[in-house]
Amino acid sequence: MTFLTTLALLATVLVIAPYIAHRLRRRTAQEQPFPPTRLVQPAPPTARRRSRLEDRALFATRAAAVSLLALLGATPLVRCSRLALQRSGGASVAMAIVLDDSMSMRARTGGASSRFERARKGARELLASAQEGDAVAVVLAGEPPRVALAATTDLAVARNTVETIAESDRATDLDGALVLAGDLLSSLPQTDRRIVMLSDLADGRPDAPPLGDTSGTPVWNALPELAAPAPDCAVMRADRGGARVRVKIACGPGATAAGRTVVIEDARGNALGSGSTQAGSIADVAVLLPSEHVVATRARLSGSDAVASDDVTPVVTEVGRAAIAVVADTEEESVVTGGAPIAEQALWALKLDVDIHPIPAFPDRAEDLAGTLGVLLDDPPGFTPEQRRALAAYCGGGGVVLIALGPHAAAAPLGASLEPILGRPVAWSEAGRATGADPASAMGELAESAGGLLDLGASHRAVIAPDDLGALEPFLRWTDGAPMVARRRVGRGVAWIVTLPVSIDASDMALRPGFLALLGAWARDAGQGAVALRGEVGASWTFAGARNVDVQGPSGPVSTTRGEEGLRFVPPLIGSYHIVVDGQVETRVASPVVRELDLRPRRAASKTVGAGIGERRASVDMSGYVAFGLLALMAFEMALRLSSRPKEV
Amino acid sequence: MRLRAREVAEGVFAGAHRSARRGTGVEFGGFRPYVPGDDLRWLDRRSLLRHDRLVVRQFETETDRAISLLVDATASMAFRSAGARGAKLAFVSVVAAALARVALASGDPVGLSFIGGDRHNGPVARAGGREQFERIVGALEAVWPGGDADVDRDMVKRAVQWVSRATRRGAIVIMLSDLIDLPPHSQDRVAELASSGRACAVVQALDPAEAEFPYRGTVRLRALEGKAVVETDGDVTRSRYLAALSALTGVWQNALMARGGRLLRVTTADDPVRVVRGIVEALAHSSMLAKRP
Repeated sequence: MTFLTTLALLATVLVIAPYIAHRLRRRTAQEQPFPPTRLVQPAPPTARRRSRLEDRALFATRAAAVSLLALLGATPLVRCSRLALQRSGGASVAMAIVLDDSMSMRARTGGASSRFERARKGARELLASAQEGDAVAVVLAGEPPRVALAATTDLAVARNTVETIAESDRATDLDGALVLAGDLLSSLPQTDRRIVMLSDLADGRPDAPPLGDTSGTPVWNALPELAAPAPDCAVMRADRGGARVRVKIACGPGATAAGRTVVIEDARGNALGSGSTQAGSIADVAVLLPSEHVVATRARLSGSDAVASDDVTPVVTEVGRAAIAVVADTEEESVVTGGAPIAEQALWALKLDVDIHPIPAFPDRAEDLAGTLGVLLDDPPGFTPEQRRALAAYCGGGGVVLIALGPHAAAAPLGASLEPILGRPVAWSEAGRATGADPASAMGELAESAGGLLDLGASHRAVIAPDDLGALEPFLRWTDGAPMVARRRVGRGVAWIVTLPVSIDASDMALRPGFLALLGAWARDAGQGAVALRGEVGASWTFAGARNVDVQGPSGPVSTTRGEEGLRFVPPLIGSYHIVVDGQVETRVASPVVRELDLRPRRAASKTVGAGIGERRASVDMSGYVAFGLLALMAFEMALRLSSRPKEV
Repeated sequence: MRLRAREVAEGVFAGAHRSARRGTGVEFGGFRPYVPGDDLRWLDRRSLLRHDRLVVRQFETETDRAISLLVDATASMAFRSAGARGAKLAFVSVVAAALARVALASGDPVGLSFIGGDRHNGPVARAGGREQFERIVGALEAVWPGGDADVDRDMVKRAVQWVSRATRRGAIVIMLSDLIDLPPHSQDRVAELASSGRACAVVQALDPAEAEFPYRGTVRLRALEGKAVVETDGDVTRSRYLAALSALTGVWQNALMARGGRLLRVTTADDPVRVVRGIVEALAHSSMLAKRP
């Protein structure tokens, strides 16, 4: 507030001036001719008394006029700022609004409304300043970045879109959102393009390169005031085993859960037990329930921090860690490695967040594979009928297997076959001139690492029957075009087929980095297709092979989309999701992303200050309204004076 | 004024005026009950014998009945409030001219004199005929309000003396004035005109503002005669002013009624036709009471 502003506001004290003037005003009667004046008696002294506050309307009008005058002088103080687009020469503008709907935008810093509401308001203001012919796109920066509205010139649709966007608990991916926004604008005819970023810039990577530095489209960080660090802690998971609930608490930088309490509640909100948290960015709290039979619904972290939605999470029954089963010839390969089979050691080398379970043979019952993300079969000598039924059930339920075909697979005993993966027997034939993979044929995740699979030194290879080739989706081929790595869908599951065994006696494949890449890609496929009980908000949950999936989330139904890998959906909020997959009911829990707890803002490039792109315009300049009000008051006073003027007689 | 006076007079002709004095004459004028003092020569014997009632016969008089108009032209008569049709002097001039026209049309001679006014405004001697109407209208048009009772306290006395000399028994004197700021005891002097067989009517013509005192709040009033200035509160003083005005009117009315005269109060907002007709009717009534043959 400037000195002049203060001075102008002090002028409101003069509002008492009309009051004093009215009080002190003496009736200065106008002399009028009147013949029978001698018959008129002079009035008592009241005729010359100080006038009462007779004309209240006039007084109120004058007082209001003085106030407005003072306000007019102090106009900068009451200026209402809002976002607006700058345009050069009145040309149409193509604008992509990157609206951050991540969890950090739920923080309420410096006001009653959340950062997201402020950002949404900013989007409204920007759309209000848009004109006919301007193209607008809306991109959401919550992970994964999404296009809420493709570029359109229909501003009404844009406004409706902005209103329908809701807060979420997703992580932040501003880089991806900016790229997406740039792509949306790239094909538009407008030459004046810009990206408006409405975000707190807290994407969990405060030390990353400045945002907007590499964008080809000008980026305007329109609401820099949102970028403010704030402490936040979250309940990451609450797993129950018997009468004990293990709760994991995570805190962002500068925040601590010390002194706060974890409370386990039932469905009605009654506390079943509690435990104190310790200092540290990650804390585990064990809460003992009164008995094993009470139903614990959620774990709540007492106290408050920047984001409230992540202070509560559902309690789920604890299950064992996910695992990958490995079926390999331990006797033969242990001689070579002096330890676990090569495939098992390779999976350990990948440091997957799963257990590796070596099993002697594929089980006869699918129930024995519960909790198993995938099964790696190294040169199996075919499957017995029981194994085939178990394999079909496992894959039908979404299981993922990798089968490395070798001499044993080709020499399957009578009654054994590779069904349901391959309908025909395979042959173990000489490799001939094809001694390695053709990098040019590599697809997907193998494209980068296929170069490491050249000249594998294989004298023989498995040859798949032509009848089975049609059902395969090759990822990598031999140099003669035969499939080296292929994939086919079996029920809701997937079977990966490699035409070489893992054994180093057959080839050098297991010694090449490309083999680890192959196993890594398969393990990720297995992890995505498996039924994981807990996942992160914003991470896609895929139901490969499922025909119908209905999802009920914390805030209602969640729509699913059909991708290449099948139906999938992305949980936008923390909490429980009840999922019906082809009639089978399951419950999953979405947990917050740890990096989203870091509310430290990332730096924005200096060129994102918005010069020439947008402005915080005093478009609702109160001075005009105040001046208009002043004029109206003056007119009103004139009307009052005319109406109250004593009639001339 | 000439046209307006004729218009007013035409309206009066449509009314009740029958100017000739009933009394001794040659043309039968009707019967009326006998009252003690009546001339026994006019007792109708046939009615006495037939109905056993004393009834006297009336005859239209053959004598003329002079009318003397006394118009107040003092400074106060120049007052005209906002919204009023005209000044009081203009209003009474129209009324006076209309009365003259009515009288002249009936064959009665008419004279005119002023109270106050410009010193060049002399009286118009009593006479009859069309030319007299023109002379009276000319005098009324030429009069200019003036005169202050505080300065010239004999103005009413001189006017009354002139009327007394100019009229004889049976004449009618009509004074048109606002009765404001006249010298003391003017009502007694004017009332004397009602004696000696003359009929006298005083028309108090007021401006609507004078009759109603519509002022609100603090007002500063200045008299047109004298230097009186009063600052007062209209809301507070109104009732007292109206009482004082009524008292003034009452004084004049008492003085006139004691001599058989009549007082009419009118305002400039009234219809001149009604005013003239009211004067004629009042004079007729006054004549019947005071000039019964």
